[in-house]
Amino acid sequence: MSIIELENVSHRFPDGTAGLQNINLSIMEGTLSVIAGQNGSGKTTFLKHLNGLLLPNTGTVKIAGEPVIKDIHRARQLVGMVFQDADSQIVGETVEADVAFGPENLCLDPTDVRKRVTAALAVVGLTKLAAQRPHLLSGGEKRRLSIAGILAMEPRIVVFDEPFTSLDYPGTQQVLQEILKLKQSGHTILVTTHDLEKVIYYADRLIIMHAGKIVRDGLPDNIVREVEAFGVREPCTSRLGMEALPWHN
Amino acid sequence: MDTSRQLHMTVYAALFAALTAVGAYLAIPIGPVPIVLQNLFVLLTGLLLGSRWGLAAVGIYLLAGACGLPVFAGGMGGIGRLIGPTGGYLLGYLPAVYLIGLISEKSDQRTVFDVLAMLCGSIIVYACGVTWLKVVSGMSWSKTLALGMYPFLIGDALKIAVAVPIAKALRPLIQVPKSRATISREDNSQPVTRK
Amino acid sequence: MAQLTAFSYRSGNSYAHALDVRIKLILLMLVSLAVMDAGPTALGVMSLCLMILVRYLHLPLKSVCVELRYFLILLALVFIARSLSTAGDPLIVWKWLTISREGMKAGAVVVWRIMLVVLVGLTFVATTRPTEIKAAVEWFLKPVPLIPRARIGTMIGLVLRFIPLIFTQAGETLDAQRARAVEHRKNPYYRLTKFVIPFFRRTFETADKLAVAMEARCYSENRTNPQFSARRRDFMVLAVCAVFCCLIFLF
Ligand SMILES: Nc1ncnc2c1ncn2[C@@H]1O[C@H](COP(=O)(O)OP(=O)(O)O)[C@@H](O)[C@H]1O
Ligand SMILES: [Mg+2]
Repeated sequence: MSIIELENVSHRFPDGTAGLQNINLSIMEGTLSVIAGQNGSGKTTFLKHLNGLLLPNTGTVKIAGEPVIKDIHRARQLVGMVFQDADSQIVGETVEADVAFGPENLCLDPTDVRKRVTAALAVVGLTKLAAQRPHLLSGGEKRRLSIAGILAMEPRIVVFDEPFTSLDYPGTQQVLQEILKLKQSGHTILVTTHDLEKVIYYADRLIIMHAGKIVRDGLPDNIVREVEAFGVREPCTSRLGMEALPWHN
Repeated sequence: MDTSRQLHMTVYAALFAALTAVGAYLAIPIGPVPIVLQNLFVLLTGLLLGSRWGLAAVGIYLLAGACGLPVFAGGMGGIGRLIGPTGGYLLGYLPAVYLIGLISEKSDQRTVFDVLAMLCGSIIVYACGVTWLKVVSGMSWSKTLALGMYPFLIGDALKIAVAVPIAKALRPLIQVPKSRATISREDNSQPVTRK
Repeated sequence: MAQLTAFSYRSGNSYAHALDVRIKLILLMLVSLAVMDAGPTALGVMSLCLMILVRYLHLPLKSVCVELRYFLILLALVFIARSLSTAGDPLIVWKWLTISREGMKAGAVVVWRIMLVVLVGLTFVATTRPTEIKAAVEWFLKPVPLIPRARIGTMIGLVLRFIPLIFTQAGETLDAQRARAVEHRKNPYYRLTKFVIPFFRRTFETADKLAVAMEARCYSENRTNPQFSARRRDFMVLAVCAVFCCLIFLF
């Protein structure tokens, strides 16, 4: 069953820049799709349409069968979004308070909020740091905190915007592990990147964006050789004619 | 005001409250006397956020401090700071920022009026600050002024002069981008036109 | 600002930590006001109680004094001004300066009071998490009409969230400029504009992204309320302190 459906979606920014042009796409539940493209190709703009942070000028976006515009609140709860800059999406003054922010917005019972916070922190392995102030966390921990903040809202789709930028090797591994765990627990996952190396092995589907359009879409093995035309580096393994290799150990 | 814009302004007001707190610690070492940035930030709060949200920013700053959160200079929180000798300056920020915002809004942010607004604001801060300092310390007026006002006047003139170009450069950034959710829905109905 | 100030929360499990925040906040206000009205005897009793508490909590008095050095200098000036300007029984006369007995006494009481208020604030901050303070403020605003209580709570939380971030960004901006030898420019006008504009621009970007992230997480002012649990002994403490403060106000 497809959980994300876009029909003819176009978006033009008020200053006239074309953000998205005629996007048609449907994504199956439980899959991991990678969206690649160079800077400014419209990846972030695309993601922001999934939870109504941006609304299309034409076309419709449907999440789990319902148009986003009909109930933006529902879309935002179903689609959890991990932004590119981990530092500026942490709202709370402590780790715990940050994870509680989402459930509190949903007006849950205080006991339910606490349950969800405990569960989400356990999933990403930050239980011990619950009382810590977020700015003292490492890069990987911050990214995991933003994942926990989203898991506490119990989304069905989790979207990662360039999750590996400015992460060191251990940080990247931690985040990759979280992504795979989420996939295993049945979440639908979207990852944008301009660097295929780290995720290509795990992708069920590869979507290439260029100038606000989808220019390639299919199984990673079929299109990974064509990506360099669109400003994305072809992974080493593919260049060497090998199969993709897992990146984490 | 739609919720998205309101949320943005809420975050900005909190940001300016935090900037005011940090401004007490930030000093640019120029010459023998370092220039502390807090009152420059208060002036900018009025100019950039306007009367209502500026007042909210300073109000939150004072409320947080009064409740013991460590936002005042030297980290000393609690109403001790507000009823201590320098409390008048802090409380004076409230009417000052409101007036600065009001004048600059009413005058369409023209430079002359911005300067005028900041002059009025500074006078209010000193009026509150020096009076309270005199009440608490029991010093004579001339002594209070010599201790609590004259040494800072040159720095204040500099800050007013500096605030003008800074406000000019930063004002366009505070306008919330028109492309956000609820606003762009209105944009849909009409094709994008440029003036 | 963990390292920045001695006025910060120190974890522990003393009774002062466990006391209900709302009651602690009332106590803070009540005691601070009472101190401003207290005479030497009451001040002595309060100082004794507070010193025991400070000892018991192992609060870093020394670093507090270092941090408050300018404030202490100001207090010293206040003391001198008071002793010189109050008329009365001359104690020391030196040329045209007269220090009166009453003046010394008045100055000492003023300084003593302010120091005590500082100490009360210190014990409160050291035993209370910022998050709890935020929640308590929200709770106290409940009966006030026309005030967006949830928004105020959110804003206080955001201020606490922003402060360390702003310090980092200010430091980075200063370093970047130092790397380009900004110290050679002596013109303060140039220095200030060149520092504040990029620094503010960065913090605005952060604020903007934060607002979007809050939207994405369903921000709403209609949200779960914070929870508290006041026990019987908390009210006993409140009652004892209230009686003590009333005595001060009465005499
Ligand atoms: N608020 C905006 N106003 C105008 N143009 C924008 C805005 N946001 C993004 N753009 C433009 O839209 C294009 C796509 O941006 P984005 O989706 O952020 O790209 P990516 O995430 O792939 O790097 C870019 O050319 C960018 O300059
Ligand atoms: Mg992007």
